[in-house]
Amino acid sequence: MKKKWMSGLLALGVGSMLLAGCGGKTAEQAPASSSSTPAASAETEAKAETEKNDKFAGETLSILVSAGWMDNRYDQTLSRFEDTYGVTVDLQTIPAEQYSDVLQAKLTSGTCADVFWIQSNPFAIESVIVDPEAYCIDFTGASWESVVPEARLKSCKVGDKLYGMQLWHNSPEYVMVYNKTLFNELGITSTPKTYDELLKACETIAAKGITPWFLPGADGWQHQLAFFQIGGVYEEAQPGLYEALNTNKATFAGNEKMLQVLEQFKELSDKGYFGEDWIGTDSTNMANDFADRKIAMAMANSSFVKQIQDETQSTDEFGLFLIPLGDNTWFPTSPAGPTMFGYKETKNEELVKTFFDFVSQTESLQEILDNSPAYTNIHVNNNDVKQNWLPAEEEFMKTIDQNKMNVSVLQNGTKYTNDYWMDFGADMVAYCLGKMDANTVLKNMDDNRAKTAALQKDPNWQ
Amino acid sequence: MNKKKIYPQWFLILPLALYIVFFLLPSIMGILYSFTDWNVRSKGELNFIGLKNYIEIFTSNKNYTEGILNTLKFTVVSNIVKLIPALLLAIMLQEGLKGRNWYRTIFYLPSVLPFLIIGLTFTSILNYNNGLLNTVLDALHLDFMKQKWLSDLNVVWKSIYGVDAWRGIGYCMTIFLAGLNSIPKSYYEAASIDGANFFHKLKYITLPMLSGAITINLVFGLTYGLKVFDIIYVLTNGGPGHETEVITTYSYQLYANGYYGMSTALNTILFAITTVIGVCVVRYMSKQEVQQ
Repeated sequence: MKKKWMSGLLALGVGSMLLAGCGGKTAEQAPASSSSTPAASAETEAKAETEKNDKFAGETLSILVSAGWMDNRYDQTLSRFEDTYGVTVDLQTIPAEQYSDVLQAKLTSGTCADVFWIQSNPFAIESVIVDPEAYCIDFTGASWESVVPEARLKSCKVGDKLYGMQLWHNSPEYVMVYNKTLFNELGITSTPKTYDELLKACETIAAKGITPWFLPGADGWQHQLAFFQIGGVYEEAQPGLYEALNTNKATFAGNEKMLQVLEQFKELSDKGYFGEDWIGTDSTNMANDFADRKIAMAMANSSFVKQIQDETQSTDEFGLFLIPLGDNTWFPTSPAGPTMFGYKETKNEELVKTFFDFVSQTESLQEILDNSPAYTNIHVNNNDVKQNWLPAEEEFMKTIDQNKMNVSVLQNGTKYTNDYWMDFGADMVAYCLGKMDANTVLKNMDDNRAKTAALQKDPNWQ
Repeated sequence: MNKKKIYPQWFLILPLALYIVFFLLPSIMGILYSFTDWNVRSKGELNFIGLKNYIEIFTSNKNYTEGILNTLKFTVVSNIVKLIPALLLAIMLQEGLKGRNWYRTIFYLPSVLPFLIIGLTFTSILNYNNGLLNTVLDALHLDFMKQKWLSDLNVVWKSIYGVDAWRGIGYCMTIFLAGLNSIPKSYYEAASIDGANFFHKLKYITLPMLSGAITINLVFGLTYGLKVFDIIYVLTNGGPGHETEVITTYSYQLYANGYYGMSTALNTILFAITTVIGVCVVRYMSKQEVQQ
């Protein structure tokens, strides 16, 4: 009996402390806001602001995101958002390989978080979330639209309607990162600009027992980049190709430039320039292998240069150049990236809209960039944000012809292609092992795209 | 009075209902879905398309048929490489081997490990560049035995069988041991008096008396082999290329890409193959038992 009384009193005590704790936050915020401005008008404004901020007090904003898309870089901004509005942010981070399934299940079952993310591109916005009109808040007319660059808006809009916000970096993605010091020591004075120059460089490097081009085939998603990141080269060889592919007037199969690139890729594989067992090697040790000079080049993001130096304390100098397959001279422009959407059925639509406004403010953008160790810039229309470009990036960007930056990478510039990334990768491996011919690799992509087009009831494929 | 009738039949209602709701009904619905165009964009509208999914499976250039053949190949070979060593081990450990209980435990242990752990561990061990196996071979100056265990077309299946055997032999051995324990010692004593040697005893006493355990191991092994997914998914993900694709990996890919109808069609084929083979094996082994 005594025990029951004791536990009852304890529960009461804890309960009252909790209540006091909940109430304290808003009570503390109010005087802090009003005491800072003595002038009457300013006081009124501050009061209005406080009232505006307080209207969400106690609410919870849930966010569903794949691992790696927000992580630490949003922590500071989320924390400030919580403090500003007295709300709680419930961040639900899902492992990347499960994210798509979890999102689909939550959307179709009507249990999605207030804010959700997808890896969007100008075509994925419709295909990945199935039906933006059914699931996404329409943000058309939102002030933050002007913050998102035009190229990225294509991944956020369907027709004239604005659904998503894409805040992503614009570093050179999956270009060749190379050990400049090693190249110089081996007498390779200029970076390969053509396939023949690449072959020569590989020959020189391989002769020293170093893997010329590290390709982690066991990851399953990296080796395809060699084919897809050079989309401009295919468009240049056959002007209007992207448009024709998107309207089902052209195919991958039979495309001479694509066949040439696949053949070059196989030649490098056959000569062992990707390493003795590139198909069975993953990227776990890539930074260390670079620092140990076991490898000379690899496809990576420009920020990888910083990663090598931070993780290994290597004193070697690293640089960047374009993937030279197919004698490519085109920059891998990519309007794709993780994109944030508001869930249409949310009970907190106002709070979601406020969150989008909050994230797009200069202070938030700077926080997001500064808390992203892997990225050196954030691609937004806001000159007040201070970018952190690397010297290697700046040097590389100077070498790029501005006229060769306007063609998107193949996987994001053509419909239904990115959906079959892994299949294409497996086919490339089968081709390199002699189990499939190059044209079948391309034909399989056509067949797969046709299947998705049929699902989407795309009139061009009817 | 029928003494065998202990429980009233209505005791079956609850388990039967659970079985129907959670197994039979979904299975039947799955088969029905395989005749529809159910996909990620269907939004509840399913159209009956007859055998179209099945026709595509057998005619598409995606090599689903190779996946089906790979499944059958895995089922046969993996059972051979597990059952024969498991039987020999069981016989060895049934005899008066010192520390046999320790050995039994050690051999059985891998079978309690999750496939994911086994797969990840062996992916690392079998890595060509810095895996444990090739490193040991290097250290022993046996470089010529080094292989690209998971990326060479001629070796990859052997690696999978090896890992699968490592995991499964102990389990099969335990079932054989249970069977061996049930054979009366007097049979062997009588055979010894008649002058039978080890092989005579094996052929005329052990194997016939073990047919029950063999049937259990075979049925379990066949159903496991036909349904194989995790070990392949974790070790090779169907690669290199499509070399080790099986029905379930293809079915998984189809499902992930949103072709639910097609995916269930592949699973229905798997279900049919499993049923036919399972029933045939059980019938054949039952006949053998009756004859003995």
